Amino acid sequence: MASPYQGYGQTPLHAQSGQVPPGGYGQPAYGGIPGQNPYGAQPGGQYGAAYGGAMPGYVGPAGGYGAPGGVPQSLGGYGGAPPGIDPQVYQWFMSVDQDRSGRITAHELQQALINSNWSHFNPETCRLMIGMFDRDQTGTIELHEFQALWNYIQQWKGVFESVDINRSGSIEAQELQTAWQSMGYNLSYNFVQMVVIKFDIQSRRCLTLDNFIQACVMLKSLTDMFRQRDTSMQGQIRISYEDFMIMAISNKP
Amino acid sequence: MAYYGQQQAYRPPAPAGVDQNFLWNVFQRVDKDRSGEVSAVELQQALANGTWTPFNPETVRLMIGMFDRDNSGTVNFQEFASLWKYVTDWQNCFRSYDRDGSGAIDKNELKMALTSFGYRLSDRFYEILVKKFDRQGRGNIPFDDFIQCCVVLQTLTSAFRGFDTDQDGIINIGYEQFLNLVFSLKS
Repeated sequence: MASPYQGYGQTPLHAQSGQVPPGGYGQPAYGGIPGQNPYGAQPGGQYGAAYGGAMPGYVGPAGGYGAPGGVPQSLGGYGGAPPGIDPQVYQWFMSVDQDRSGRITAHELQQALINSNWSHFNPETCRLMIGMFDRDQTGTIELHEFQALWNYIQQWKGVFESVDINRSGSIEAQELQTAWQSMGYNLSYNFVQMVVIKFDIQSRRCLTLDNFIQACVMLKSLTDMFRQRDTSMQGQIRISYEDFMIMAISNKP
Repeated sequence: MAYYGQQQAYRPPAPAGVDQNFLWNVFQRVDKDRSGEVSAVELQQALANGTWTPFNPETVRLMIGMFDRDNSGTVNFQEFASLWKYVTDWQNCFRSYDRDGSGAIDKNELKMALTSFGYRLSDRFYEILVKKFDRQGRGNIPFDDFIQCCVVLQTLTSAFRGFDTDQDGIINIGYEQFLNLVFSLKS
């Protein structure tokens, strides 16, 4: 179990205690390299510039897994995509926005997203993803927000596929730890294992893409909130009951 | 003095004795496949939240997890009896705050209920709370989500109290400890 004085992820302290979980810990941990960001989002890393806006390098809807379902190959009559919007994303948005309101709800999103086993994304993940971009608190997102969300989904999907080596469509604890490590989050095997057990409601000890995304969104926003309060970068914060409750409730699964 | 509620006050009032024969009848009706155990799916079909919408599956899983002592993912009759009592207690509590009998309570009613359990939290907190538990976007919380909300608050508060050894309402907490707490709320 993590010591209360442990920093973010695998510290040298942790390593000395002989509790290093198995797996590739080649990456610099907290306290390893000066200037290394301990919380994830490593400089220049895949996720470094990703959060908080449109990002370059849209991956495209490649491959079998988790590709948004029901994408029509051609949608006549909608005109072209607005500037800054990928034509594929535009088509996809139009097919998802079934009531043509110009905004999509979590429910509409859920109808359109599928896991590799053809199950629909779970509703909690869809609500969480809408919530990431829903700045005006309407419970919906418009086209540009959707483009940003799409970029995230492609990234998460990319990470997911890169660790799901046997292409089973779901990842185990070890693979989740590797995935998060590649995103810059160094977390103990105990923690990662708990996440898999909790998020896998079918008790198969592995996560499908939607569960993985839900855990990634939570991890990112909890880390961001924690970091804001950890001004001295000790991996430890001092927090009041109310603030604690707000942080936890805002990010609860 | 602590800044948060008293532990014993979170529990809904103790119920009157429940007739075992009545409960056995209920159990047999809920246990559709006659396995002698009630699964989350069977329980969900049996529970009504008073608004004609299916009972929140997360709340069902949460409650199965609370009463499933042998970790089978199902509840036997004994466990079911405890669970039933628990739901009935919460239902009575919920009804006393749902003044207009709409089957859902709004932010003010929720604040009143939770304040009476001993929580001292700001209006800003209650706004976030309602937004988080209001899955339908109606600005209020139906019975099934209310149970989940109360259980989550209780879990978080007792975790906080565990860290707050000097009882001053402020704690030191590490990154992974904090992540662990919030991720554990998944049901």
